[in-house]
Amino acid sequence: MPALALKNVNQVFGTGTARVQVLHDVNFAVEPGTLSLIVGPSGSGKSTFLSIAGGLLTPTSGSVWLDGVSYHDRTKKQRDQLRLQSIGFVLQAYHLLPYLNVDDQFKLVDHVKPKGNLDAKQLGELLDELGIADLRKKFPGELSGGQQQRVAIARALYPDPSVILADEPTAALDSARVEVVGALFQALAHARGKAVVVVTHDVRLEKFADQIFAIEDGVLHQVNK
Amino acid sequence: MFLALREIRKEKLRSGLIVAMIVLISYLIFILTSLALGLARQNTDALNSWGTQTVTLNGSANVDMRQSLITKKQAGKLTGDEAYIGQASVVAKAQGHENTSAVFIGLQSNQFVAKKIKLTSGHRPQSDKQLVADTSFQDAGYKLGSKVRLSSDSGKFTIVGFTKNAKMNIAPVVYGRLGAWLDLKDLMPGPIASAVVSRKAGARSQQSSALKTYSRATFINKMPGYSAQNMTFELMIGFLMIISLIVIAVFLYILTMQKLPNYAVLRAQGIPSRVLVGATISQSLILVVAGLIIGTELTALTAVAMPAAVPMAFDVPQLAAVAAGLVLMGLIGSLIPVGAVLRVDPVSVIGG
Ligand SMILES: Nc1ncnc2c1ncn2[C@@H]1O[C@H](COP(=O)(O)OP(=O)(O)OP(=O)(O)O)[C@@H](O)[C@H]1O
Ligand SMILES: [Mg+2]
Repeated sequence: MPALALKNVNQVFGTGTARVQVLHDVNFAVEPGTLSLIVGPSGSGKSTFLSIAGGLLTPTSGSVWLDGVSYHDRTKKQRDQLRLQSIGFVLQAYHLLPYLNVDDQFKLVDHVKPKGNLDAKQLGELLDELGIADLRKKFPGELSGGQQQRVAIARALYPDPSVILADEPTAALDSARVEVVGALFQALAHARGKAVVVVTHDVRLEKFADQIFAIEDGVLHQVNK
Repeated sequence: MFLALREIRKEKLRSGLIVAMIVLISYLIFILTSLALGLARQNTDALNSWGTQTVTLNGSANVDMRQSLITKKQAGKLTGDEAYIGQASVVAKAQGHENTSAVFIGLQSNQFVAKKIKLTSGHRPQSDKQLVADTSFQDAGYKLGSKVRLSSDSGKFTIVGFTKNAKMNIAPVVYGRLGAWLDLKDLMPGPIASAVVSRKAGARSQQSSALKTYSRATFINKMPGYSAQNMTFELMIGFLMIISLIVIAVFLYILTMQKLPNYAVLRAQGIPSRVLVGATISQSLILVVAGLIIGTELTALTAVAMPAAVPMAFDVPQLAAVAAGLVLMGLIGSLIPVGAVLRVDPVSVIGG
């Protein structure tokens, strides 16, 4: 069973002369333990795709499935729940809460989702692995961009989701760091069994991907590596 | 609560400023409330200590005891629940003391008011030349046995007792005999008192149509300046409440607007709106309550430090009601940005 699947998804914005169809009949599925790359030029529909895949936006038509559970017919509350449990977002600007230190970023998750999160030992190992174990008492403002990104990755993994959605994770990084981040996302898929979907227009990430999808004018198709 | 507390802890300066603002506002409101009550009591304390329900005056006196004269015939027979009051404005003069404006209250010693007065020291007047004075005379240096003149030709009186909280028309009261009142007023024969007070509510039977009976509340509200003064204070306190509402609302609105991008991320991660709304409201309540606690402590310090001459009365239930009003203002103020929190669009966090 795919961890995440989109079936016949169409997205239309506006009506009449302002009507734009941003996604055309998109079909997409990713299995656990794989890293998928969605690449495409600016304005092709990548962000729209990610919003729909992450359950933030309801498509004009078609359906989205998370671990075999569909998003449609769900209340707003149940969607919140589903996102909290099954999706880890790694956002472009990292978006850590400025007034929570690293430890509290995880505690906030405990407050709204008390069960099924990584235990203290697993979290310790994760932070070790990401090389941020000694930053636990620091606030986001005291961290470098790279450190913030690692905290954001740990935050996304903490609820133990099956899907990780990343939005342009290498947008602001130099080549050396791109290699590190690419390997990191690959490890999330291969070692932790997550279905990792990375939206990017950075071709330097392609060598880490198990499958690559290109999106052009709202049409998604798989490309051979 | 978690988010609210963490944010307050991280943003110490910002939170401190809001708390400081609420401390100042609540302190000001507390002091004004106490001053209003203290001044009001300077009008009503004596009357309250008598346990009076109605005051009967001459109908032509414009509800002012100082202007009222009653004859024995007009008053009719008094019941055991009624008492004559003879009021006269006097200036107390004594060697070595500044002149003091005071209210002389003449009482008949076998009637309920005279019996109701509680003395802090000394004894009740046993002749027309003896007085029981408000303790403010004691604060001014008068002692039991002190001689005092109340008018130029009425001779000297001796203070034989002191009583607390004897104030009327914002002046201290000296109690004496009704006979002394007749003397002080220097009246033609006829009038026997200024008023008849009763500890029972309701109209008096058999009295002349020249007299009118007023409820305690009506009589107090008609005291010179009493209503105007209270209304002034009520207006000031009301305005301060509204100002506090605006201050809290504006601050919280700005703070919350700045946080909306963060909230959008939390919404994208699946954190329910309820948690974010809760954070906003509890943050405002924590800040308001913290400010109130400090404001209360300052008020308590003021109450202890304030010299007795300043007419302030600290009434805990009344101040608690004022504090509850401020908490309510904080709550209303924090509801204004809630709409924006609920409308946060998580899609906005995806982009670039
Ligand atoms: N809410 C909206 N209303 C109308 N049009 C929209 C809306 N959101 C996106 N679009 C349009 O849809 C198209 C795809 O937008 P999208 O943001 O998905 O592109 P993208 O691939 O993420 O581009 P970039 O690489 O620049 O981020 C664009 O033409 C955009 O103008
Ligand atoms: Mg985009």
